[in-house]
Amino acid sequence: MADKRITIQTTRYDPDKDEKPRLQSYEIPFYDDSMVVLDALNYIKSNVDGSLSYRWSCRMGICGSCGMMVNGTPKLSCSAFLRDYWPRPIVVEPLNNFPVIRDLVIDMDDFMQKLKSIRPWIIRKQEIPLGAGAHYQTNEQIDDFRQFSECINCMLCYAACPVYGLNNEFLGPAAIALARRYNLDSRDQGLKQRLPVIADNEGVWECSFVGECSVVCPKGVDPAKAIQQTKLDTTMRFILPYGNRD
Amino acid sequence: MTTEAQAAAPREHPWRMPANWWTRNRRYFLYVVREFTVVPIAAWLLWMLLEIKRADGGPAHYYPPSSTAFVVFSVIVLLFSLYHSFTFLSLAGVIIHVKVLDRPVPSRLIVLSQFALWAVASVVVGFVLIWFAR
Repeated sequence: MADKRITIQTTRYDPDKDEKPRLQSYEIPFYDDSMVVLDALNYIKSNVDGSLSYRWSCRMGICGSCGMMVNGTPKLSCSAFLRDYWPRPIVVEPLNNFPVIRDLVIDMDDFMQKLKSIRPWIIRKQEIPLGAGAHYQTNEQIDDFRQFSECINCMLCYAACPVYGLNNEFLGPAAIALARRYNLDSRDQGLKQRLPVIADNEGVWECSFVGECSVVCPKGVDPAKAIQQTKLDTTMRFILPYGNRD
Repeated sequence: MTTEAQAAAPREHPWRMPANWWTRNRRYFLYVVREFTVVPIAAWLLWMLLEIKRADGGPAHYYPPSSTAFVVFSVIVLLFSLYHSFTFLSLAGVIIHVKVLDRPVPSRLIVLSQFALWAVASVVVGFVLIWFAR
């Protein structure tokens, strides 16, 4: 086991020196079957090349920071086990569909602006004072949106979405799933504020249901489902009498 | 952004979608195939509109197309249409969320009801066509 080694090919890009990203190969010891791609990158950074840049934080699939393309598939690098790829080399690249800042670090500004545009927080017409006590929800009311609230903003769904790759005006899977999460929340009254964004041409109607966003989602959020449900809801609001309810 | 700020901003490498993106993943490929099957369906529907126009002169002057090529093309288009109907109706279980007595209706039941409605609609349309053709 101590002699087992694995080849990691990772994207390197220094904006001050390189014209475009390139792949660099590292052969590292594969000393533990529980090693993940993030461990391999940390080994390279600590022992081989300290200039390698990438994002990570929790190392347990919660923070959503370490999303990368692993052999062409968007994955959380903390959840991609080396044993699933060994003895073949592993190619680690920055997430598709985003500009690259350095090495494996992408520019996520576009996503952050889209996320903000759908107002991912509970909106009330009139705030309930804290002194009024808790705002209770039943288990059934929570079940309505629980799946969509699992999103960790890892952006794997954006990297898997060819629609976003071809037209980055598209609002995108995670933002729409989160908009749906709040629209389905019994405490929320912000549907009308979100509708102009989600029902826009570049909102749900830009999606042509490739479905890959739901395949790669590490939390089972199923953004494709959120998008198709939103399409149906916005259509029903348009055609049904009294459909334009709050 | 000022010139100084632009100069200080890191130079990013922009993303460009490769032209062969749809060959890089089996599901992307199937998606593109699915999208392209509407082209022959649309062509067949245009053909049908022309046939309706041709039938303007009454049954005495109308001869329906019966060439082998047309029959083969029609069968292929029928298969494509059935494929689209199947995917669309299967999707209904995902997107339709209905509650009865405050309990969500299982998606399997919704899909089955959609397929049942599809079968009933097909029988009704077939009956009407055969009835008026007599």
